[in-house]
Amino acid sequence: MNTSKQISQWRIVAASVCGTSHTKNQQLCQDAHHWQLLANNVLVIAAADGAGSAKLGKVGSMIAVETAIDHLSRQEMTSDSLANDDVLRYLLTDAMLVARTSIETEADVCNHQLHDLATTLILMIATPEVVAVGQVGDGLAVAKNGMGNLIALTIPSNGEYINQTTFLTSLDGLETAQFKICRDEIVNVGVLTDGLQMLALNMIVGEPHKPFFFPLFEFVANAEDRVLAKEHLMRFLSSDKITQRTDDDLTLILAAFINS
Amino acid sequence: MDYNITQKVMIDTFNLDEVVEFAENPEPRCPCVLLLDTSGSMEGERIEALNQGLLSLKDELVKNSLASRRVEVAIITFDSNVNVVQDFVTADQFNPPILTAQGLTIMGSAIHKALDLIQERKSQYRTNGIAYYRPWVFMITDGEPQGELDHVVEQAAQRLQGDESNKRVAFFTVGVENANMSRLSQIAVRSPLKLKGLNFIEMFVWLSASMSAVSHSQVDEQVALPPIGWGSV
Repeated sequence: MNTSKQISQWRIVAASVCGTSHTKNQQLCQDAHHWQLLANNVLVIAAADGAGSAKLGKVGSMIAVETAIDHLSRQEMTSDSLANDDVLRYLLTDAMLVARTSIETEADVCNHQLHDLATTLILMIATPEVVAVGQVGDGLAVAKNGMGNLIALTIPSNGEYINQTTFLTSLDGLETAQFKICRDEIVNVGVLTDGLQMLALNMIVGEPHKPFFFPLFEFVANAEDRVLAKEHLMRFLSSDKITQRTDDDLTLILAAFINS
Repeated sequence: MDYNITQKVMIDTFNLDEVVEFAENPEPRCPCVLLLDTSGSMEGERIEALNQGLLSLKDELVKNSLASRRVEVAIITFDSNVNVVQDFVTADQFNPPILTAQGLTIMGSAIHKALDLIQERKSQYRTNGIAYYRPWVFMITDGEPQGELDHVVEQAAQRLQGDESNKRVAFFTVGVENANMSRLSQIAVRSPLKLKGLNFIEMFVWLSASMSAVSHSQVDEQVALPPIGWGSV
């Protein structure tokens, strides 16, 4: 046995794939994601869904995730600071603001309208003791605790109509953001964009669907080979079983905290 | 060593699409009311062309598997009476009726009925946890309101304006041949479109393509609708 090299750590598998409706119209995948592992087992995750109706939704979503993660990775996060809810909330709000500003700058410089770069944004800060999420627009963030309970951190924020949502770039985007902080023994976290919503959420009760998340969490917990695992996840997201049910872009970010 | 091998085998054979189960949610619905003028002036070629058009709407919608499960069609006719000849039904269950023409044109009452029907449908969706898209009404007429009191038409127009500005509905008006386009533009918020000849088939093919686009869209506001070849503003 060679377990001495095993240390406590996050395992992460993430993928974004282009929806079949976008492939058909030769559109780019409007989803983007990014994550980074920081010191002290702090994991930061971002997922964004650029508006299909926006000309540069892809650009908006990429700027949002890159900027937010870059910004978060340069903040000081200690177990002391993360013990404070206000600090967590500030970190998330601040990163969203920086992402929004960065999109505004891009729009300015390239002479685009801000709504041409419309995108949603989900940001997560996760440690083995706490998970905090900020979300503008639709999509979903969940966690599993040490007791094996699945926790809905955020729920999709739609208007009256299913194809309506708020964007980071909307006037009231940041004001309508959802925030959730959950202090618990965090074993798994998951983030997904709206393309998977109908498959991962029981819409009537508004709860995440356990038989969807639990096998995926088991998968990421065992994902020793990150490259191979990503291939598996991409194949899954492109499988007939999924594309029969949804033709939108899909993003799924899964993480497991391995304590060995 | 054994531990690592076990893990490796596990991930190699881990087939996600066999183990991950999906939530069973009702398909989101994209409701569309066809509000059709079946007054006396529609008799003959016009009503026949309209009936042919309805068949092509069905044919087009079922070609698209998502649209056929998501688009819901209802048909209301108006002449001297207002009749719901088809309550909301998904495209795959839709059997186009054969319409006949007679009588006057009580358009104001018909608009009220269409807006009522949509309101009821939305509340049914909500009760059953069904997500939905913004409803469309597609009104087709070759005339103008006739055979009802002016204030009924006036009220219908006002209600429609309110519903449009609150985004409760998107209401499209299509004028056929001798339709009074200026009267129609006083009633509807969106500019009425004039059908070229009796090109109902092309119009319904367009309607199907547009509803399909909407029923696939994830973000509303501006769904790019296909260009209109069958009519003009």
